[in-house]
Amino acid sequence: MHENIITEIKNGNRDAFRSLYDEYASYAIRTAKAITRNDEYAKDAVQEAFIRVYRNISSYEPALSFNAWFYRILVNECIRLLNNEKKNIPVDTAQQKQDTQLMEHSKESVKDLYEVIQNMSDLYRIPILLKYIKGFSEREIAQILELNQNTVKSRLFNGRNLLKKQLHLTEMEEI
Amino acid sequence: MDQMDKRASKDILKHTEDAQDKLKEDIWNDLDKELFPEKSRKDKHLKKKSKFVPITIAAAAAVILLFSTQTNTGIALIKQIKDIFVSEKQITQSIEGMDEETEVVLQEGKDSEYVIYIDEERYKLIQGETSDIITTKEPLEEKYPEVSMEIKQITDKSPDEIVSTLEKELEAEYTNVTDTERVTEPIEGFKLHGISGSEWDSPVTNVYIVDNKNGGSFVIIEKYFLEAAEGHGARFYAMLQEFEIVE
Repeated sequence: MHENIITEIKNGNRDAFRSLYDEYASYAIRTAKAITRNDEYAKDAVQEAFIRVYRNISSYEPALSFNAWFYRILVNECIRLLNNEKKNIPVDTAQQKQDTQLMEHSKESVKDLYEVIQNMSDLYRIPILLKYIKGFSEREIAQILELNQNTVKSRLFNGRNLLKKQLHLTEMEEI
Repeated sequence: MDQMDKRASKDILKHTEDAQDKLKEDIWNDLDKELFPEKSRKDKHLKKKSKFVPITIAAAAAVILLFSTQTNTGIALIKQIKDIFVSEKQITQSIEGMDEETEVVLQEGKDSEYVIYIDEERYKLIQGETSDIITTKEPLEEKYPEVSMEIKQITDKSPDEIVSTLEKELEAEYTNVTDTERVTEPIEGFKLHGISGSEWDSPVTNVYIVDNKNGGSFVIIEKYFLEAAEGHGARFYAMLQEFEIVE
């Protein structure tokens, strides 16, 4: 994000904020849709994230990536909405069991990897969505989710293994 | 990225498409109404939040000051100025993207020249000879850099007169000093910003220079470290929004 756009937004410049919105909105909507699995929630999450960004832009620390700061706000908002709906989805997914039933997806034929990912535990689902939607690096995902980079690395590794396993099962069935 | 990654990415993008940017436009329309109401859009500026006590309150404070000097009761003065403001209130602050309701308590600065609401669960105000310091209630471990917000008044120099001196001081202390800007939030005045490094414990400072409306300035120096930007940094920001000069 260009520093002068941020400065202009701090000054209340609507056009500058619109530029930021145009640059970030499409992928923010995709990310929110994927995380919340619900268009209405996605709309609320994206809207609230941009409001927070506008109102708190003065507290943005330029030494951190603007992308990471923005997506941390967005992902937190998505999780907050999910938690409101289902109190049993913990915010700190690190507390979840890591190696039990990692996904509930059946062994039926995999036509679409989106469905497979959406049936994974949030532990793997959210880092994987961030990687595949926006191409975030492990470091950036760690910043967004406020996790250790090695933790992210391990979750992406396990998540991708689940995907591979599912694909392999499908291929075997098709033979 | 291997074939599976590409396929996963493609599938996700297919499922999350915003057909004809409908959501995008809907969200913008809502944001526009919320953040840029018609009135403020006309003049292209956000309404500036005055950080100074409204005239009626200032007048009341002046009356109190007059009576208190006649009766020579400094303690009574402090009590009475405090009475003008609610002693406790709840504010909503955004900490790491999440709203947090916080109870804040009214505190007066040196010589009752300003008031500020402090999150007393976490911070305390220490009045000094030349300045006041808000710092963590419990001392931080040695591995953490200083976390504090110092408030001092320079009675004989306006913000324009001291800004360049403070810029030089900051440049001597921090390796990266950004351009000074005029801000309206969390307080109206100059904002200077410095940081040394990009590690979790790199020291960060924000310096605000505020007109005291009497020919002088208030200088507010926040100090924390990079990892605490959205913790202590955000809490200082919220407290500073409650800073009021008693004219």
